Amino acid sequence: MEAKLIKKAALGDIVKKIAGQKPVYAPVKEGSKVHFKFLAKGESPFLAYANSVNAPKNLFFPQTETLMHYTKTARGNELVEESETFSEMVLFGVRPCDVRSFKLLDMVFDQKQYSDPYYVEKRERTTIIALACRQPPFSTCFCTSVGGHPAQADGADILISELDDDYLVEFLSPKGEKLIKLFGDLRAADEAALNRKKELSDEAVAAIKSHIPATEIKTWLDSNFEHPFWDSIHQGCLACGTCSYLCPTCHCFDIRDEAQGDDGIRLRTWDSCMYSIYSQETSGHNPRPGQKQRWRQRLMHKFKYFVDNYDAISCVGCGRCVMSCPVNTDIRKIVNDIAKLN
Amino acid sequence: MNSIEEKIREEAKRLLDEKKVDVVIGYETGTLPLQTAPCFITSSDEVDKLVWNPCCKQNLAIYVHSALTQHRESQKRVKPEDKKAKIVAVVARGCTSRSLVIHLQEKQYNREDLVIIGVPCQGYIDKNKLEAKVDGLEVITGSIDGDAIKVETSKGKTELSLIEVTADNCLECRFCNPVIHDFMAGEAIPVYESDDEFAVVDEFAALPEADRWDYFSAEMNKCMRCYACRNICPSCYCKVCFVEQSQPEWVGAGVNPSDNQVFQIMRMFHMAGRCVDCGSCVEVCAEGVDLRKFLKKLDKDDLDLYEHRAGAELDKEAPLSTFRENDAESFIFEPK
Repeated sequence: MEAKLIKKAALGDIVKKIAGQKPVYAPVKEGSKVHFKFLAKGESPFLAYANSVNAPKNLFFPQTETLMHYTKTARGNELVEESETFSEMVLFGVRPCDVRSFKLLDMVFDQKQYSDPYYVEKRERTTIIALACRQPPFSTCFCTSVGGHPAQADGADILISELDDDYLVEFLSPKGEKLIKLFGDLRAADEAALNRKKELSDEAVAAIKSHIPATEIKTWLDSNFEHPFWDSIHQGCLACGTCSYLCPTCHCFDIRDEAQGDDGIRLRTWDSCMYSIYSQETSGHNPRPGQKQRWRQRLMHKFKYFVDNYDAISCVGCGRCVMSCPVNTDIRKIVNDIAKLN
Repeated sequence: MNSIEEKIREEAKRLLDEKKVDVVIGYETGTLPLQTAPCFITSSDEVDKLVWNPCCKQNLAIYVHSALTQHRESQKRVKPEDKKAKIVAVVARGCTSRSLVIHLQEKQYNREDLVIIGVPCQGYIDKNKLEAKVDGLEVITGSIDGDAIKVETSKGKTELSLIEVTADNCLECRFCNPVIHDFMAGEAIPVYESDDEFAVVDEFAALPEADRWDYFSAEMNKCMRCYACRNICPSCYCKVCFVEQSQPEWVGAGVNPSDNQVFQIMRMFHMAGRCVDCGSCVEVCAEGVDLRKFLKKLDKDDLDLYEHRAGAELDKEAPLSTFRENDAESFIFEPK
């Protein structure tokens, strides 16, 4: 691992330079909202951002993705796999919480036995440049409660940390090191810089004011699939997909064919357990008939089932669902309330 | 606590204590600054949760509809002698009461299933306007003091006037008081007679076609198809929405410009003569899609062509559920 320093003012241009060579997916400000988007030629990323409205998972796991084309012929169906091959890409400016989300998504999409080629290919061809949080971006951030850290980015190829006049750039993987020359003039980081990073990182941890007992509720969830508590959280829920669609770890999808005449495509789209048709069966029966059952599923999946399957909580504490829920359903409050039932 | 809030709580307590209603639907303080959440009070011990302030945004009529519909469904397989009635009380401002009128006109439930706690309303805080005022920064703390809002962001504290962040639909609202109610929590307030209520539509209509199309396409491209707009809308209560139908499939599942447009256009056209301009569809949208400009056009047509305002009068038939020989039809035969 190499640690280098660059002047703060130089970063924007470096990213612009990288974007001249390969596609860069980075935060961009549109109106008063920040989104991850591919940078246009000559466009600089928006560096002074807190975090984006949408999670960067869309790069590896797009909301709409064509899996294959098919044509009905006299000899049967002819299948043509989607032949788009991805060039090497750079994902720039990912916050540590969102970097963690990729490790969690890998557990689902990149298993030994079952591997999702669409996800894995894009993931492998992408270099992730993380931007540490000097301050927690929002008062709703709770990454430290779910195993994260505002200034560490396990899983990133390059980690950039804001110091006083410089950025400390740490090249964490061979993929990251390949980009060194695009960074131009780099100074080697001295002891003082590394110490300052440590100081600021501790400050960032201390500045996180939102905490939830995320690991303490598993035992309660294990034995309380039926409990009056589940009647108390869902009434205001609109059953929209905002929380799932903005969540960096939600990964449910639907697959369907869209045909026109003899030609068709097979699409994969995001899905949400908040929707009534998510669990609707062909017979008309719906095993999760109401929002109560759907909210229980959402909670259970994040804090129990995922832990059972992969030994990790499927939440990175970014706070997007808390901030964007149209009716202010707050997952932090729900987890806190469950902990009180223990 | 303001006097309206006090009266809402007293009335809610009385209704629950006297077993006049099973649930009171209102607003409670949220977990984030300047936010409220819908709340469902079933015991008079909890009435102190109820609040009333400019952070009360959502049109609660959709919750009345789902509570009563779900109850009706649950009673279907119950023996006649065991059937139970359910009566819902709701805190309703002008726009909410108009949505309730639409439900009643469309025979969704009966008037006696409902107790309306009416509130005079001077408008709510538009989250998009507030967000723009603080340049997209997070509001860390916020409080309302008379006509002023004090907000704190990472850049420090600022004070805004309530009026500059009040939603446009509220600034132009002619229904500050509920059109029907069983109880009024507070005095009716004078109605703000806006003389350019449709300025937003007229200005947009005056733009060249290409500009209008560009604006519309850009707005629709923001849509992530979470369906929050549809799900909060009291007039969107279909058991099965066309979006979820697969045989035939009216709208593709993919999030792309044409499917987004088809979804929004079809939803909006179902709002003809049924949109009360409560602004909830805009307020719930995480991406800030401007739906109001287009919905307001339907509102204008409703008024210009049929002298009708959605849900304004219980006894007046809605244009889509009645036919008169002299009905305007120029928009069919001579479309502009």
